[in-house]
Amino acid sequence: MQSTSSTQAPASLGSLGSRLRDKLERRPEFFTLFLLIALSAFVGTVNPSFFQISTLFDIARSSTVIGLFALGVFVILAAGGIDVSFTAIAALSMYAVTKLVVVFQPDTPILLVFMLSTVGGGLLGLVNGVLVQSLKAPSLIVTIGTQYLFRGLLLTFVGTVWLIDLPAQMDGFGKMALLKLQTDRGNTIILPAFVLILLAMALLTWWILNRTLLGKAVFAVGGSPVIAERLGYNLRAVHFFIFSYTGALAGLAGMIHVCSNRLANPFDLVGIEIDVIAAVVLGGARITGGTGTVMGTLLGVFLVVMINSVLIMAGVPSTWQRVVVGSFILVAGAFFVVRSKR
Amino acid sequence: MFVAQSQETRSSEHASMVFLEVAGIHKRFGGVYALRGVSFVIERGEIYHLLGENGCGKSTLIKIISGAQPPDEGQIVIEGRAYTALTPIAALTAGIETVYQDLSLIPNLTVAENVALTEQLVKAQGSLARPLRQAELNATAARALAAVKLPTSAEFLATPVGNLPLAVRQLVAISRAIATKAKLVIMDEPTTSLTRREVDNLIRVVTDLRRDKVAVLFVTHKLEECYSIGGQAIVFRDGQCVAQGAIENYTKIQLGHLMTGRDIDASRYRHASASNETLLQLQDLGCRDYFQQVSFTLKRGEILGITGLMDSGRNELAKTIAGVMTASSGTLSLRGQTLKLRRPADAIRNGIGYVPEDRLGEGLFLDKPILSNMVAAILDDLRTVFGTLDRNKSRAVAQELVDELRIATPNLELPVQSLSGGNQQRVLIARWLTIKPQLLVLHGPTVGVDVGSKDTIYKTIQALAERGLGVILISDDLPELLQNADRILVMRDGLVQQEFSADVAQEEDLYRAMLGTAKGSPT
Repeated sequence: MQSTSSTQAPASLGSLGSRLRDKLERRPEFFTLFLLIALSAFVGTVNPSFFQISTLFDIARSSTVIGLFALGVFVILAAGGIDVSFTAIAALSMYAVTKLVVVFQPDTPILLVFMLSTVGGGLLGLVNGVLVQSLKAPSLIVTIGTQYLFRGLLLTFVGTVWLIDLPAQMDGFGKMALLKLQTDRGNTIILPAFVLILLAMALLTWWILNRTLLGKAVFAVGGSPVIAERLGYNLRAVHFFIFSYTGALAGLAGMIHVCSNRLANPFDLVGIEIDVIAAVVLGGARITGGTGTVMGTLLGVFLVVMINSVLIMAGVPSTWQRVVVGSFILVAGAFFVVRSKR
Repeated sequence: MFVAQSQETRSSEHASMVFLEVAGIHKRFGGVYALRGVSFVIERGEIYHLLGENGCGKSTLIKIISGAQPPDEGQIVIEGRAYTALTPIAALTAGIETVYQDLSLIPNLTVAENVALTEQLVKAQGSLARPLRQAELNATAARALAAVKLPTSAEFLATPVGNLPLAVRQLVAISRAIATKAKLVIMDEPTTSLTRREVDNLIRVVTDLRRDKVAVLFVTHKLEECYSIGGQAIVFRDGQCVAQGAIENYTKIQLGHLMTGRDIDASRYRHASASNETLLQLQDLGCRDYFQQVSFTLKRGEILGITGLMDSGRNELAKTIAGVMTASSGTLSLRGQTLKLRRPADAIRNGIGYVPEDRLGEGLFLDKPILSNMVAAILDDLRTVFGTLDRNKSRAVAQELVDELRIATPNLELPVQSLSGGNQQRVLIARWLTIKPQLLVLHGPTVGVDVGSKDTIYKTIQALAERGLGVILISDDLPELLQNADRILVMRDGLVQQEFSADVAQEEDLYRAMLGTAKGSPT
């Protein structure tokens, strides 16, 4: 009796394991979710004050800008490309538009301010798309080039000083609350309204990728550009779209960054490209293209933001955060490689 | 009056039978002519076999018909409408579906998407700013998959195509043609990587297509299959169409002559005989579940053929002898010395060369020069005292082999992909000759190679055996084994089932042993 149960147990455990692996193979974002939950459990055990609503608000606030960047990077990765110029696009469009507004028309409606920054970012992204398409060059090389170019243009021709006195409507937008709560200790905590923008853009991105021919074309090009072109997919349209879309999201993110910090600093946002790409890859998108989901991307963003912002609550020194991000990427990377080899 | 009218009716009847006509197509690449005034007609519901040596212009013609490249001169008339050039979308819209050798499937998309997206793309005239109609996508895919007898479950529809075995992918590619209601399906060497059973299945599907008045254009090197399918032969040589007519009106030898412009001997290549000296001995060799208890001896100068279905264990046996896989039981000895082969380097050190089946994937560095490809296995021997590569010495080694194997190239610095399939294969064989092998394992040496190149490869193999090498030839191509080997082993279910003497065995006997049917038709 005992011997049968002891031989059966590992067998059923094994089948459970293989079923779990099957599931993970199809939906790698569950692995991201698992890391996220494990990390929360760890931080929450060490420091119970982690489990409160203000932590959630903090994560949501910090995730908005990086999340918008990540959605763009994900779309480009899905099409088999890569972009490292989006932070430069964000910095250039947010600073140029803010300066324009501050100097010439301080009472520009907030909606127009955002539209200018988004359209400006989209046009800069289109420059990437046109270059990738016409030079037939790898997008990594092109966007390294344009990253320097956009940043150089910003600092040379637009300005290098901080813009501190923002018009009231921009300040107001940054402070606008979706939820306002009083904590037990009497502090007011705020869930900013701009998190809705991330939500809306995530839905839009999901809709484009999953419910339009364009979205399928993006994945087809990510799977094999040569075959996709042969099957009649318009490669040029896909390239123009992915880079403009990412540029537009970057312009939007840049302006949210300005409003939420109530400050336009032309030196901001630089250097977080790797964080963003890491978040997208942790969300299950392969760096070689053609895979991934919007949900996974968002989970990857939350994971990276959490590591960067709340690990300190567990007493982990901030210098260790990079070690944690690095280890997670290696674990996830190894996991996804094993998955693809099966 | 009456006569004229009846003639007109007849000609319009004829016109309605014609689906596509290419007229006076010319195409140059640089100064080289790929096509020189090609004209022919494709009728509905007819099957065509486009035959010709590698480099005769077949692939170029297909690219022009499918809209991948424009012709320099001439026109394409589809259902009465003339085009000077097509685009991929225009060709698809007109009902021309092309299944290239790589099947044109996108590995990360699902079966349903691969099968049915093209239909929606064609309806949108290539515009991408359209919503995806998911329900219609699944319905179309299910209908098309059912026509080729593939599953239509939601689970299969949602499987990424990259996870499917090759034979299933082939059928998925064909069902895409059915989904787009293609009127002409072009298949570029569709059976190259399929086993006989899978080929039979493919032929059944093609027969169904024909019944539905779909024209099929095959591009192939396998003449036996052309005869068993039937239909029209279109023969190309040097960019011109040299013959067209019902395939049963031509003999194999005639077709070979038309394709190459010279006579190809279809009889046995093997005239020499093996020595008495034992080279290789296998004793109850086994490798996990793949094959068991394989025992045979191979003499110096002997050619041993091995065949069997894809899952018979023959591929794994080849890889085990080459050290790519490690044996789990039994012994392997070379010249009386028992060897433990754990990796390819062990086999190379002992003089065992392995020319893999997938020469593109496993063997050649396609974008690297011919020279580098040839000397890749002996880099250590070509070291100068400074540890750098001795260019002169490697050039001498390579040049000698190019001359010996008659590889047609003006320059050793050209990338391997600039060569035809047959010459690529010879580059790979040349690489293994640089290690001065005792034993050469050739896995499907003429897969995807045209008649003329086959001839030279066979002659090369015979010459190597006459030099005293032992050769193991693993192949699906039964005539190839019968023409070249001394003995043929047939494997099934991981075991050697039967041994044949190649000079007396019949194709039919081998086929029966492969399938395990004592008698009866191959099904």
